[in-house]
Amino acid sequence: MASINYAFKEISCKIVFYGPGLSGKTTNLQYVHLKIPAKSRGELISLATDQDRTLYFDFLPLDIGKIHGFSTKFQLYTVPGQVYYNATRKLVLRGVDGLVFVADSQKSKMDENVESLQNLADNLGEYGYSREKIPLVFQYNKRDLSLLNSVEELQQALNPKGYPHFESVATKGVGVFDTLKCISKLVLDQAKRKELFPDRKMEVVEADKISPERTPSPVATAGQATEAAILSPADAPTPTAQTTVVEEETVPVAEKRTTPREVAQENEPEVGLKVEEVPQKEGDPMVQPPRQESPTVISWSAGKSGKRAKGRGFFLWRLLNKLLNR
Amino acid sequence: MKQEDLVIYEEQIEKIEGALKRLIKDAQAKCVLLVDKDGHLITRQGFTQSLDTTALAALLAGSFASTREIARLVGEPEFSVLFHQGKKDHIHITLVGERTILAVIFDDRTTIGMVRLYAKETSEDLERILSLAHREEAMAKPEGKTDRGSEFSTSLESRLDDIFSEQP
Ligand SMILES: Nc1nc2c(ncn2[C@@H]2O[C@H](COP(=O)(O)OP(=O)(O)O)[C@@H](O)[C@H]2O)c(=O)[nH]1
Ligand SMILES: [Mg+2]
Repeated sequence: MASINYAFKEISCKIVFYGPGLSGKTTNLQYVHLKIPAKSRGELISLATDQDRTLYFDFLPLDIGKIHGFSTKFQLYTVPGQVYYNATRKLVLRGVDGLVFVADSQKSKMDENVESLQNLADNLGEYGYSREKIPLVFQYNKRDLSLLNSVEELQQALNPKGYPHFESVATKGVGVFDTLKCISKLVLDQAKRKELFPDRKMEVVEADKISPERTPSPVATAGQATEAAILSPADAPTPTAQTTVVEEETVPVAEKRTTPREVAQENEPEVGLKVEEVPQKEGDPMVQPPRQESPTVISWSAGKSGKRAKGRGFFLWRLLNKLLNR
Repeated sequence: MKQEDLVIYEEQIEKIEGALKRLIKDAQAKCVLLVDKDGHLITRQGFTQSLDTTALAALLAGSFASTREIARLVGEPEFSVLFHQGKKDHIHITLVGERTILAVIFDDRTTIGMVRLYAKETSEDLERILSLAHREEAMAKPEGKTDRGSEFSTSLESRLDDIFSEQP
């Protein structure tokens, strides 16, 4: 699960790309790595076999900068898709905050998709994770090939309950960022709902916004440098270099230019979603996003237990409309 | 296993870093990392400038996770210590409580024995500090409903737009 560090004002979330072997999970990460500026991402690490097949996982850290004063990070992982790698695949799932299921759209791959989705459900179950609480997005990849299943067929087989889904050609980057953006938002909305960005730290956040000079985190300064100097005088770091908070610019403009758009969202018509039931909430749903107990919009499709998803409610419904109608 | 976010408060981090600094000094290590078992870096101390600590954290957690599976397969509950020996630098990895990993990187200015000794002490200290964190988290959680939902949502949206919109 997410890791939140109030001292460094950092939140770190784990997003796992799941799916059958060769569906395009690694390609997704490669494209993201290629396109995102170096200051917002780390290196792409692939634990692969000689044949470039994922052996354990691929890993790509992203730093998307400050959200509500918190330096926000995503760690993107892929799993090895081949059936016989389930042991390692399961390990990667540990602590997952959000899931992208990358399906191979080719007709011949439908069974593998279904099997992989079932395997995902099984593995989450074995961890005792409640599946309904982990945001999930489907990506139907390889739309450039022929002999494909239609999106309707894929939806019916894999996603009958209508989690967000995207068509993609990962090799060309089509749909890759749409998918990533959607799952990122779902994960952070979840973090927000869990109140991981607490009000009690808000004073600090506001102060940050006002002063253009970032004050370094008090716990990550001179003491460390001194320590390092004792150990290794020759290459001792300067105190300024030694900070655990990743460098980034605060973007007050981006944080402020938002209200009008938000107001506009309120009147958006509801279009194009297979929503089971639209929760009716008293009052303004934007002011008080529904809690875990609120009615269901979407539920998990692959599991056998048939448990209903709880609580993304209106919030997610709005979001889906927004994303799908762009 | 429960789904639980790891929350570290300012008060905790000071104590944690104090303990890590002591460890570096006592064991004569180069640097130490404290890593969440899910692969998130919690904090680090010592000479870490030249290290990609984010990647290191993910790989250490992965390494520990697979070692744990190996332990299970050979009928051990858990290998609580993991040691990688290099030509110059070595890494000593210990489990701290249920969900964190302490990695000490050191070279031949010290010995594995020293590192093992102090790492064990430190991991006990850390376990105490972290369990305190959990308690306080539980206490701090329930109340305090927030009314910043919409503001949050839009600031997030525009941030994601900025980062994830493709460069022409
Ligand atoms: N035609 C086509 N090929 C793709 C697409 N996405 C991935 N591939 C190819 O499919 C193969 C497997 O992709 P990879 O990302 O390694 O799959 P993974 O096993 O899910 O990580 C590679 O040869 C990719 O180039 C796509 O959208 N269209
Ligand atoms: Mg792969």
